[in-house]
Amino acid sequence: MPSHGSEPGSARRGVLVIPAYNEAPRLPALLAAIAAQELPLEVAVVDDGSRDGTADVAARAGATVLRHPFNLGYGAGLQTGYKYALAAGAPWVVQMDADGQHDPRDVKRLLAPVRLGECDLVIGSRFLEPTGYDMDPLRQLGRRFFIALARAFGFRVTDPTSGFQALGRRVLELYASDAFPSDYPDVDVLLTAHRHGLVVREISVRMHAGERPSTLHGGLRSVWYLYKMMLSLWAASSRVPKP
Amino acid sequence: MNETLTLAQLRELFLENPDLEATRWLALSISAVLIGVVLWLVRKRSLREEYTPIWIIVSAALVFVSLRLDLLRELTRAIGAWTPSSTVFFLGELFLVAICLNYAVRLSRAGLQVKNLAQEIAILRARVDALAARRGDSL
Repeated sequence: MPSHGSEPGSARRGVLVIPAYNEAPRLPALLAAIAAQELPLEVAVVDDGSRDGTADVAARAGATVLRHPFNLGYGAGLQTGYKYALAAGAPWVVQMDADGQHDPRDVKRLLAPVRLGECDLVIGSRFLEPTGYDMDPLRQLGRRFFIALARAFGFRVTDPTSGFQALGRRVLELYASDAFPSDYPDVDVLLTAHRHGLVVREISVRMHAGERPSTLHGGLRSVWYLYKMMLSLWAASSRVPKP
Repeated sequence: MNETLTLAQLRELFLENPDLEATRWLALSISAVLIGVVLWLVRKRSLREEYTPIWIIVSAALVFVSLRLDLLRELTRAIGAWTPSSTVFFLGELFLVAICLNYAVRLSRAGLQVKNLAQEIAILRARVDALAARRGDSL
């Protein structure tokens, strides 16, 4: 059984949070790739009410498993990881998707600025530099729209929907609050972090085409995402940040 | 002789229409049934006491309006409606919109609490599993 860092619940070294919903077929390869990196992180898989044995697969691979009793959503899965890390006294968290889209080889690079105290939040961007990442025109349009919206609110970002991020403790404390969305925590939460005076930086990372359907992939879900995100952005920009 | 009515006269005719006893008794019966159902639901523990005031108030308002149809007529005149029944429908719709909004707020709060509880369970279960593994048994 591969080892995944410190023992559960005592993560002084940071936590690698992987929200997973029915990811049993893809998890073993991802967890093996993470183990090969020998990262100074406890790997915590948040099983979001899967029905395909995701939790068992993660536990067999040596990861800490946080099991939701039922499906709560991608954002809630991430937030469970943040809360766990905070309770365990972890100084930072790296989050990555379970579908193999994010490359574990980039984790150390992603985490470095947060560990050095240079910033509070690092976003792994597919678009900061040419990485050859292919995105269909509709998603490109959606991405550009949200970049423009974020810019209108005074925040610059090139990859507002990237789930590959490193977060410092101040970000964790902010994200563990009830303001964090259960479904899609994207540019709205980045704007909230920015408005709270947290330093956000992007670094270029490699990304593979994920198997999880995108929120900007067309259909009713995209319409809902667009509406919800615009409303969340407005709400985030109108709230007075708490000191 | 062919007599024509203006719209204003027609409206007055609607408003001056004498009260129907049947309407009054129907409204009173509905109020009584509503109060009875609310009390029965509380007794069955299907409805918590804190949710009852709104329904008791609605029933009381219905009783009051049934007994004082003249006030309903005045209100109808004041808001520019044509018939007392349309005023009742209008007020009913307003009430339904308000109560739907109220329940949406309560649902949002309850959803947040359920999410927080589920997350807490997930974290505690991981800790229990870790403790059990350390002790070499299952808790």
